[in-house]
Amino acid sequence: MTQGISRRTLLGAALSGGLITPFLAGCGALVPASSGPRSISVHTQLSGAVAGAQVFSDVVADYQRRSGRTVALLKNGSDLPIVFETSTLAGKAADVAVVNMMGRTLSWTGAGATIPVTDLLDEWDLRDKILPQAIKEWTDDEGRLRAFPFTRTNWPVSFNTGLLEEAGVEIPTTSDELIAVADALRSKGIGPVTVGGSDWSGQKMFLQIIQGFITEDEARTVFSTGKLSESAGALAGVEHFVELRDAGVFVDNVQGYTSDSELTQFNTRKAAIVPAMSSALALVPAERAKEVTVGGWPKPSSGGVLAHPSVIKSYNGHGIWISENGREKLDLIKPFVQNLYTERVTDEFILGSGRDMNRVTDTVSKDFPLVAQGSRLTDDDVTPVMLPDLLIPDSVFEPMVKVTAMAYGSASAERIVDSFEKAYDAA
Amino acid sequence: MAQRIAALPLRDRIGSITSGTLAWIYAALLLVPFYYFIVSSFKTNEQIFESPLALPATWDLSNFATAIQQAELGLAVANSALTTVAALVLTLLLALPASFALARATGRAGKIVESVFALGFLIPSFAALFPTFLLAAALGLFHTRTFVVFLLPATALPLSIVILTSFMRTIPRELEEAASMDGASSLQVLRQVYLPICIPGIATVLLLNFLSFWNAYLYPLILIGPDTAQRTIQVALPTLKVDAGTDYGVLMAGTLFTLLPVYLVYTVLQRQMQRALLSGAVKG
Repeated sequence: MTQGISRRTLLGAALSGGLITPFLAGCGALVPASSGPRSISVHTQLSGAVAGAQVFSDVVADYQRRSGRTVALLKNGSDLPIVFETSTLAGKAADVAVVNMMGRTLSWTGAGATIPVTDLLDEWDLRDKILPQAIKEWTDDEGRLRAFPFTRTNWPVSFNTGLLEEAGVEIPTTSDELIAVADALRSKGIGPVTVGGSDWSGQKMFLQIIQGFITEDEARTVFSTGKLSESAGALAGVEHFVELRDAGVFVDNVQGYTSDSELTQFNTRKAAIVPAMSSALALVPAERAKEVTVGGWPKPSSGGVLAHPSVIKSYNGHGIWISENGREKLDLIKPFVQNLYTERVTDEFILGSGRDMNRVTDTVSKDFPLVAQGSRLTDDDVTPVMLPDLLIPDSVFEPMVKVTAMAYGSASAERIVDSFEKAYDAA
Repeated sequence: MAQRIAALPLRDRIGSITSGTLAWIYAALLLVPFYYFIVSSFKTNEQIFESPLALPATWDLSNFATAIQQAELGLAVANSALTTVAALVLTLLLALPASFALARATGRAGKIVESVFALGFLIPSFAALFPTFLLAAALGLFHTRTFVVFLLPATALPLSIVILTSFMRTIPRELEEAASMDGASSLQVLRQVYLPICIPGIATVLLLNFLSFWNAYLYPLILIGPDTAQRTIQVALPTLKVDAGTDYGVLMAGTLFTLLPVYLVYTVLQRQMQRALLSGAVKG
């Protein structure tokens, strides 16, 4: 009956378990690093496989060595906001959070989870170091600077010129050219534009296409109210999207793709064109990057408001947020944040990880050619359009993604507009 | 084997061939994704998508090294091992005496207590998250492994006690009576009579709870938190997934790395668990 595992073995295993517990608990690496009185804790999304994660770890390690101060790094991916919020409820939030400004984090300053850093900007001598546009974008309606803007993101469009050449076409700059390019690529069995139709990346593309027909002021009104039907330009934009979709501009089954699979399709030469944010471009393999040219989304051939192909330009990215707990440790946080805005650290991020930064700098990425191409695009090449994330109410975000996923299917323009507006009404 | 099948009547032969074919199809359904999973952990994204089922060009371990380094999986495995082993020991320390008492109880009180344990099945784990969070904060154990080490056995006790009590009820009373007549105390009866016979049941409880504790995500995410010195493997692993441009070879390698302990534990305990299943210990 006791074959296989003897009682002695089992009891031995239990005893070993009991003994190993305090042993492991005593290991230095397993002791929480955030418990020291003169230490600060930094909860960061710059972790794991994210571009810039290793640079950030190295920068923090170097800071600790030089300053003799302890910085405990707490790491999460996309689940950081919910972990930070539950930690806040328990009074154990990290002193500093390095996280994007979108979705849940938009309400942090108003809810008192983090403190406005408006005054600290001058006290810590950072105002001149940060791009003014970034400060503007990170300031809420009540004039509070939510966090120090750290990284930023451009959303250029990448064209695989090798595949375009195989199809005998060139980079399109107008919608008519784009439709012709899509036809040519399809005839060669190559997918045209790939995008994450089922998630936020498809939503960004949809909203970018609409912005081909509305001015920035109109866009602010339309995206904050959701009233597409009250804007002739927005309606024209939706009809233009449907026209492109029905002309086969997007790859087949695009409504099922995600931001992750779009880039994989592009990197594996399954599709020739992808709109992708600059941090994702840093992850394109060097071999693929050699045949890629970065540009903008082709402008409407008629009826649009754009002078050039469009690029979403945003100063949104990772910000450095200070929690209520951090308010008590501002003397320790100040040198840490100031160090992050030194030229040396900025260069390390740009050169070492291909990140676009909100610090004023002339440094351009060398080992990440696509990011460099994106940052070299001027207003003579592309027309910047906005990233509407800050205008869209948090509760509308997910319902809107469902609507845009439907739009990449076979829905009519009328149905898209109706569902879009209902997403706002229901919120 | 072929001769034996040939000797069977036609209807039995058809049944035998059909069941054999279905078993092989089922095995293939399990094996193909597992094969894809293993070979992908040695490939680049391009190779994974170009030729998903082909063998890797090289059996290079760099994806494993990258995964372990990027997500700090070594530390996370140590934390998961620490939490899981401590919780398993605590589960057994609580469940064994409780099951022993319930198996021997003949009165109404025993049935009521057993029913109370069974009520634990009715509580959805997600619904308990917020009260559990409040409890951890009130006890000053939020963001510690200690709280999770105490919590996991609490979630595992209903099933553990049902399994062990059922198993102990199959042990003949005469054995216990004989030991008692020889002067054995209750604790000695448990240790020297029940425990040796219950090894398959204990192995079953260990295996089921190991899988549950090792794979726990939501509670360790919220309650232990993001400190790399404390976070478990299931909390560390998702950091290999990025919004755009995930390296699936590295992600697969990291996942495979986290599965190795599961495989080892399953290999050690599976025979005992099968014996417990065959002896009907876990029925009902």
